[in-house]
Amino acid sequence: MDKLFLLAMNGLIWGLIIALIALGLAIIFGLLDIINLAHGDFFMVGTVLAWATLQSTGSFWLAFIVAPLIGFILGALIQQIVIKPIRNVAMLSIVATFGLSLILQESVRITYGPTPGRILPPIQNTIHLFGVDYEVYRLFAAVVAILALGGFFLFLQHTKLGTWMRAVRHDREIAVAMGIPAGRVYMVTFAIGFALAALGGVVAAPITTVDFRGGVDILPFCFMAVIIGGLGNLPGTAAAAVLLAFLEGVIQSVADPTVARIASLVLMSAVLLLRPQGLFKGLTR
Amino acid sequence: MSEPTLRTEGLTKRFGGLIAINNLNLSLAARRLHAIIGPNGAGKTTLFNLVSGLLPPSEGRVFFEGRDITGLKPHQISRLGIKRTLQVKSVFPQLTVAENLWITGQAGRGFLHPLRAATSDRQTREMVERTLAQIGLSSLSGRQAGTLSYGDVALLEIGMAMISQPRLLLLDEPTCGMSPAETERTVSKIRELSRAVDIIIIEHDMEVVFEIADDITVMAQGAILACGSPTEIAADERVREAYLGRDEDEDYVEDAARA
Amino acid sequence: MSAKAIERSLWALFAAFMIAVPWIVPAVISSFWVSVIAEILIWSLLAASVNLLFGYVGLLSFGQALYFGFGMYGVAIGIQDLGLSFWPAFALGIVASMTMALVTGIFAVRLTWHYFAIITVVFSLIFYFLALTNKWLTGGDDGINFALPPTLNIGGFSKSLTDPIFQYFFVLCTVALCFFLMHRLVGSPLGKAFLAIRDNDMRASLIGLNVYLLRLIAFVLSGFLAGVAGGLFAFFGRYASASYMFYHVSGEAVVWAIVGGAGTLLGPLIGTTLFILVREIVSTHWEHHSLIVGAVAILAVMFAPKGVVGLWNDFISSIAERSGAPAGAVELRTEP
Repeated sequence: MDKLFLLAMNGLIWGLIIALIALGLAIIFGLLDIINLAHGDFFMVGTVLAWATLQSTGSFWLAFIVAPLIGFILGALIQQIVIKPIRNVAMLSIVATFGLSLILQESVRITYGPTPGRILPPIQNTIHLFGVDYEVYRLFAAVVAILALGGFFLFLQHTKLGTWMRAVRHDREIAVAMGIPAGRVYMVTFAIGFALAALGGVVAAPITTVDFRGGVDILPFCFMAVIIGGLGNLPGTAAAAVLLAFLEGVIQSVADPTVARIASLVLMSAVLLLRPQGLFKGLTR
Repeated sequence: MSEPTLRTEGLTKRFGGLIAINNLNLSLAARRLHAIIGPNGAGKTTLFNLVSGLLPPSEGRVFFEGRDITGLKPHQISRLGIKRTLQVKSVFPQLTVAENLWITGQAGRGFLHPLRAATSDRQTREMVERTLAQIGLSSLSGRQAGTLSYGDVALLEIGMAMISQPRLLLLDEPTCGMSPAETERTVSKIRELSRAVDIIIIEHDMEVVFEIADDITVMAQGAILACGSPTEIAADERVREAYLGRDEDEDYVEDAARA
Repeated sequence: MSAKAIERSLWALFAAFMIAVPWIVPAVISSFWVSVIAEILIWSLLAASVNLLFGYVGLLSFGQALYFGFGMYGVAIGIQDLGLSFWPAFALGIVASMTMALVTGIFAVRLTWHYFAIITVVFSLIFYFLALTNKWLTGGDDGINFALPPTLNIGGFSKSLTDPIFQYFFVLCTVALCFFLMHRLVGSPLGKAFLAIRDNDMRASLIGLNVYLLRLIAFVLSGFLAGVAGGLFAFFGRYASASYMFYHVSGEAVVWAIVGGAGTLLGPLIGTTLFILVREIVSTHWEHHSLIVGAVAILAVMFAPKGVVGLWNDFISSIAERSGAPAGAVELRTEP
């Protein structure tokens, strides 16, 4: 029973973090029509930046600003240099992001090194919950994720840039005709996508490993959240991420973690084939 | 009275709240060239999409030569002999002109051999050469279709329609965007075709319509407004109101009808 | 010299070189490179399976490693657990991969564009994880090693792949046969139908082509190529491992196919050759050759999406145009 609680809680909190990362993927996929195979590596870069910030400044908290900022800049650069020029061969963008993924992984391997490392959580206490000593940092991570998610949705609804993003996603031609600078919107979207993933990386770093392959597992999970939640349905994506991670956590208490992963993948296939608009369409409009 | 070529029964198509085709009961006799005209948004192309199977109807049935083809897939309807062109001219851009015709000629056959060289099929090759001559594109046979001029693409489309030995041909705005000379060429090809094939054309060019159509159906807001011979339609008050509404254009229609 | 004549003499040179490899290469460099060339040939079939779907039908599959894996494990499990001899094991691998392609294709081919690519990855991930966890059958990441039964056993005459020259020619002949079949396919009515679907699938259905069925056929044929590659791989290394079913393998095959030239016959071979040669040469001095793969992938998409062979074809056509090649005769090309 304790184990179940632990895994369920961990799953829930992990889901909140993944929701953040998956939203980054969702806006890139939804707005720029790109299957970003490097998105897991954006997350991984976030974990590495957290480690680097800790090493150089001694403060982990600084990473919460540094990593998303660097992620934003990198994202903008990548969009301008690589993504924008290939708009006319859209189907091949997946190949370009695959190349990007290789470059990111290998670059980290060269600079950071091949051995996985750990970051100690900045808050080391545990709190007694439902008969288990639960890490306070995880609760803190959950709060940060929720705040970030909330902030992101507020940004989309209430800022000019956010409104532009929603307009371009809804109908690009009309948006351009109304004078919205679509090119700039694309750049910012990709940049925010990277930044969100990097932020997720910082939040997750103390509870996972810092490893150049750290993105490989995250990527399919993010895609699952986007597809099952429904393309273009951002709240749906966040909800799907939390739900999937929670379910996987629960299943892990009785079965092999890989079984949980296979079950999620099968669910994702079913959604793709039977209800491509996602499971949550119509529930959140 | 022989079986009508195309008949619809209570055909309705809704897109969400919008009714594109409203309880349409159409009956087009065989051995005639029909024109369907009407203002933009009348549902003409939607009708073609329903007949050719690209869209499923919300309600109602479609009959081709007496046979219920409602709900069949596009390739099945094509194999029954209904061929169509699209409003925006569309061929196979990376294939050559000859290959475009070739594959259209082969497509209806059913079995496609996976290993024998396509060039070895003499029958199809002769059909392609004949059709090329008929549409006047023999000199461009090796050209990639994507590099053709707009007028030539339209001719190629007609060639593709011809080579497939259609029983019913649906032409969606065949002279759209053409110069007067190209329009002449296209109109004469259509007339030639109509000797052997039932044709339904959607057109906005009134001169063309009144020149070649045997019957005209006027559609507005997803329903039939009027139906009859060119002279009847030219004289019909409702047609003028719905379609035109301005004096200069009334004269234009009358002139075209008398031309 | 006309374009056709140039092409024919290049082909003859190429064929002669490939046949002479087991003697020329050890004399000039070392016999190690003979097995590298054999490996290139095997992997080029995987790239060819990607190319068949993408270049000729317009479907980008990022999951061909799945069918490669089934071919590979069909052979390994066939020999190891079922005691099959050479040819039955090979047949098992091919049948397994084609069946898998059929079963997954029935679902996958209903989707297009992004969703098709995604579902091919998803399917391949599902089976990757299944292979990983069912260690009793697949050996997981560590894999299975097995002893190689003889290829030919007629009377007293026995030939096995442990003989490096025989192994090279076996691989060469198999791969050449597959490329020849692809060449026939592309020039055939079925091949032309594929191209039509690639160019304009709506038009294709309007002229009477059953687009779904044709895509499914192409998918199974690609599964065949990937399965042959997997089987050859297993024979070559006497080894099978789940790690070869991971989506990175699929992804690399896609890069090889694109860089080599999508929609061309030799594109997959050229692309695979380029990357594996670079890997072999670079990795002796520098272990980070993946950086080069990634960079080339991006550069190719940005500056040369038609790939090496595509650029070469454009070059040849511009020569042909300038020398005034005649049009007029009904022309159906064998290489689109």
